[in-house]
Amino acid sequence: MPEKRRKLIPDEFIPEIRSRVITLDNQDYLLQNDTMYTFYERSMGELSPFFLAIKNEKKILGCKCSKCGIVRVPPMMTHCPDCEFAPTKLVEVGQVGKMNTTPPITYFATSLFLDKAPFGRGRVILKGADTALSVMLYTTTGILVPGLIKKGTEVKVVFRDERVGQISDIYCVPTSELTPEQIAKKGLQESEIDWKTPKEPQFSKPTDKDTANFKKCLKEMQSLAVKMSQSKRARKAIEGWKRDIAVKTKAGEFAMRIDNGNFRIEDEKLVSPDFIMACEDLKTLLDGLMYKGAITDSVIMKRLWISKNIEFNTIFKLDRLARFLVMEQKEKAAK
Amino acid sequence: MAKKVGIVGAAITPFRGRWYQKTYYELAQMATREAVADAAISIKDVDSVFYGIYNDIFERACIPEHPLQGILGMQNKFGIRISNGGATGAYTLSAAHAYLAGERFKTALVLGVEKATDCFDFTSMSATPEVIKTIAWSGDTFFEQNIGWSASDSYAEVVLGYMDEYPGTLKPEVTAQISALLSQQARTNPYAQRQFDQVTPEEVMNSRYIVYPFKELEICVYSEGAAALILAEEETAKAIAKNSGKPIIWITGVGEANEHSFAGKNQKDMSHIVSDYLGAHRAYEMAGIKDPTKTINLVELHDAFIHQLEISIAEFGLVPYQTVDSLIEDGLMLPGGKYLVNPCGGLSYCGHAVGASNIMSAWSARNELIKRKLKTALIHGTGSTISQYTACAILEHE
Repeated sequence: MPEKRRKLIPDEFIPEIRSRVITLDNQDYLLQNDTMYTFYERSMGELSPFFLAIKNEKKILGCKCSKCGIVRVPPMMTHCPDCEFAPTKLVEVGQVGKMNTTPPITYFATSLFLDKAPFGRGRVILKGADTALSVMLYTTTGILVPGLIKKGTEVKVVFRDERVGQISDIYCVPTSELTPEQIAKKGLQESEIDWKTPKEPQFSKPTDKDTANFKKCLKEMQSLAVKMSQSKRARKAIEGWKRDIAVKTKAGEFAMRIDNGNFRIEDEKLVSPDFIMACEDLKTLLDGLMYKGAITDSVIMKRLWISKNIEFNTIFKLDRLARFLVMEQKEKAAK
Repeated sequence: MAKKVGIVGAAITPFRGRWYQKTYYELAQMATREAVADAAISIKDVDSVFYGIYNDIFERACIPEHPLQGILGMQNKFGIRISNGGATGAYTLSAAHAYLAGERFKTALVLGVEKATDCFDFTSMSATPEVIKTIAWSGDTFFEQNIGWSASDSYAEVVLGYMDEYPGTLKPEVTAQISALLSQQARTNPYAQRQFDQVTPEEVMNSRYIVYPFKELEICVYSEGAAALILAEEETAKAIAKNSGKPIIWITGVGEANEHSFAGKNQKDMSHIVSDYLGAHRAYEMAGIKDPTKTINLVELHDAFIHQLEISIAEFGLVPYQTVDSLIEDGLMLPGGKYLVNPCGGLSYCGHAVGASNIMSAWSARNELIKRKLKTALIHGTGSTISQYTACAILEHE
């Protein structure tokens, strides 16, 4: 999962100096764009050999207690608290290991990791180590799905091509996706791995029934989009967001437009959409918008394909759009 | 011999997704005003204040409590802030209890406040990614923060570890039913952020994955709000109660534990929340509880995640690990069941204003003990990476 290094705070994260007023119950409230920021030239201190070994030598180091012999990775201490603070010494450990527990998979990430999701993060016990190293986990086959990496799954450390001496310089992939040579190689780099690029799915020719079904679903979707655009709460889900999405299905193609609270379905083929969504049966997407199963899950389970992983962000907003409309309807009924 | 300590007043502000109308100054004062009114005392009668505020970045200040000292009318008195991750509120209660039991003070204000959703991500034009980023600064600074650590993925690690150890537990249909049940319980809590957001088990199961194995409706919401308790040592408590006419809820046990933050041999056992086990059992020991299954009527616990709620209740010794789903399958926490669990809707539906959350739980437990004439409640807070921190308290109706 190669990535480009950027500035400490990417430009796109930085808002302009601005304020606005919102009015609630006839009272104005001031909202100011604001930030707290602190830059560091931070010493890695006693951890420096560990990070330098990753950066310069593509090695993983642990610390071994001179008394009990436990090997801790990462080498988070110079003396063992279990042995009355007996000194530890640095030792090299293997680059293949087994997952300590089944790792979680992040589909909805923090703002710093929105462009990296979905990813796994779990703990691997490398050969020669007694404790677990926390690592990011990827698959070379596309989107990481539950069940692919579990407790006991063997994984291999992969080193990023561009390393700066941070824990993010490494991550792991299942050894089942690598060749024996790659598994055996010390210091395997990401550029040595074949990262399969997901391809847009191709659909067979539609039948008359498919076409009729498509038209029916499209009509329902258009009617739903009108309700969503009229719902104060649903509009909040896509406030400040703008995307032109080309939706391709077996029986037809159309445009889905999100524009700062407005949601429209238009019967046209977009020439340069922000991204493409493709699903064999339009009902998959319609069900998601009708709050009958999450669109996110359809992407994860490969019922719906998106051309850019970063657009998981938009998928979340569409799921929220569906939920907010239902919430508004339920709240009105409850009150 | 330590002095007996009781709760003689309590109040919370409404928990909301966003309080545009108030800063944390006003939220803190609002809860305090109501709590002293509930105890029918003056703020001048309160000797000390214990602040539960979790995250400096939320309040956008490194010592956010300092303006509150005067705003609350506590100038020139003792004030200390506790910050222990998600367990901040429970630890704040524990600290105040210790000072009063140790006879340093006669009365204490326990105040939790948090203003979370001023954080805003301008790239996605929504608050949540920035709120969870702010919480993610709580991960290990050298080894976790820059590989995507988040509160959800960290707790998910422990939940998946439990599921590895006890396969077949934490069934999706059970977590879905628990979430739906809590949503129903929030319906009668006018302070709940999601008072009118009743969900069905089907909706929970159909909600999107946020972090596997957690779905959106199995995770608590982020909230803004404040909660306050007035604590007093025995004689003072009795005098206050006589004047207010409200019963004293005694804090008869407290227990805490913080685990390792690394996993593996001699480190954290990823298949359990050992801190929950130790915190609860230390509280039982102090309270003289031999068999919690026969003593605890009410549990107000920190349900940051529904799966974690189940594990925590097992760690409390209220249900066996292997049959934790009996909470629903045998009706243990269903209406009329053995345990009343999070009648306020919990953090999932009342809300999670971090520093205030466990104090809100104590507020709810006090109300329910009095209203339902129950005897004993367990209060719980969990926090930090891989559910490392726990504080528990036993509350008893006099």
